[in-house]
Amino acid sequence: MKTLSELKHFYQTQLLADLKALELKRRKVLQKRMYVNTVILCIVAAAVFVTIKFGMPPHIIFISIVLSVILAVGAYRFIGKDYIAEFKILIIDRIVRFIDENLTYDRMACIPKSTFMLSQIFKTKPNRYKGDDLVSGKIGQTKICFSELNAEYESGSGKNRSVRTVFKGLFFIGDFNKNFSCRTVVLPDTAEKLFGRIGQKLQSMNLVRDDLIKLDDPEFEKLFVVYGTDQVGARYVLSTSLMKRIVDFKNKTNRDIYLSFIGSMVFVAVSYKRNLFEPRIFQTLLDFGPVREYFEDLQLAIGIVDDLNLNTRIWSKN
Amino acid sequence: MWIAIIAAVVVIVLVVLLYNSLVGKKNQVINVFGTIDAMLKKRYDLLPKLITTVKTYMQHERALLEQITEMRAKAVSGGLSDDEKVDLDNKVTKALGGIMVAVENYPDLKANQNFLQLQGTMNEVEEQISAARRAYNAAVTDYNNAVEMFPTNMAASMMGYKLKKVFEISEEQRQDIDTDKLFKA
Repeated sequence: MKTLSELKHFYQTQLLADLKALELKRRKVLQKRMYVNTVILCIVAAAVFVTIKFGMPPHIIFISIVLSVILAVGAYRFIGKDYIAEFKILIIDRIVRFIDENLTYDRMACIPKSTFMLSQIFKTKPNRYKGDDLVSGKIGQTKICFSELNAEYESGSGKNRSVRTVFKGLFFIGDFNKNFSCRTVVLPDTAEKLFGRIGQKLQSMNLVRDDLIKLDDPEFEKLFVVYGTDQVGARYVLSTSLMKRIVDFKNKTNRDIYLSFIGSMVFVAVSYKRNLFEPRIFQTLLDFGPVREYFEDLQLAIGIVDDLNLNTRIWSKN
Repeated sequence: MWIAIIAAVVVIVLVVLLYNSLVGKKNQVINVFGTIDAMLKKRYDLLPKLITTVKTYMQHERALLEQITEMRAKAVSGGLSDDEKVDLDNKVTKALGGIMVAVENYPDLKANQNFLQLQGTMNEVEEQISAARRAYNAAVTDYNNAVEMFPTNMAASMMGYKLKKVFEISEEQRQDIDTDKLFKA
């Protein structure tokens, strides 16, 4: 694990030069966007003018606004594409390898949907699924793999269209340090917090999940609800020390986290509202602030190995 | 007329639910105790291998090793009551703990591949036993809650269900393992 001062040194000696070059590109991207904005304003202004001058129905204005917004979004994406790609190749990739030489970064790849569903954390199968920034490799004895994901479920059509987020954030898979054949899923606990005992009774009646597992760590139980296929197996996986570590990790991230243990692997999903590892468009790239944020986001995911003590291999799995 | 019938049906359904839930919880306790038994058997099967592997190295712990062999023989011979099984399990856990601590004094043994593999398997079995004990305590707590809380306590007293004991660590185990004392025995 690298310290912030090591990062600062790395930033000053290795990254700054490339950041300066990228900064020029960023300004160009911003300029092009301003240009697109002006064109759109002109189109809308023209539509308004025409409508008033010639007394045409007001739908024209509405249609022109919608069309121009669509055009703008497309244009923005096109303009920013190269800039974002270069940024990820030059900066994010280097930060990943700075944290650990054994890791590889692929900006376009992500955890496949089949694996996402395999974790059994989210029961809804998303019909809109995308992600990027895949990092994989081995930390000590533990193989890991994580990426940013945005999984949504779109229902209805036309006016009734609604898009619900299934999961947005960081999705991590790691080799667990014990062998086990059961399935255990750890979810954030909302019902018990609100309704106490009755909440727990409701949780035990959940039909889509496995049996409810009531564990013996009160802090853990307050934060999470556990479902599993084997009462003893779940406790073998969720040892007293692992439960404490999971609570510490949750308090460290201060976000909703979900875990599952299947096939001797551990899946961890950390919810984020913002996009991760994207370059800024509206602010300068040259500050240490954003670099620090990328580093801390990456460090959080890679640090799961240490946080959950996955490299302690004193059982029969090696 | 109809109200009376509906009320009667509701009462019967409730009674059936209460009865079944109690029986389910009682059976869960028995089920998990069976799992503990199975895990203990795994451990008792591993013990001879452990003893042969460490015997040649650990000259000073002869007495302790013999103690473990005796306890194992007793466990395997069968015919023990549940309480006796639990008691023996506690004693063996304590003795094994002592051995694992003493291993620190034998660097040759620590480097032995056979021993390392065996230690990994033993750690696994010990953790599984620990997990089974925790599951047992959870099942017993669930059962005891049902026996004592309303409304299931009414059905419980009618069915003659009594409270069960959870796995407790005895006072002597709660004190730190004093290895010197262990090996003087």
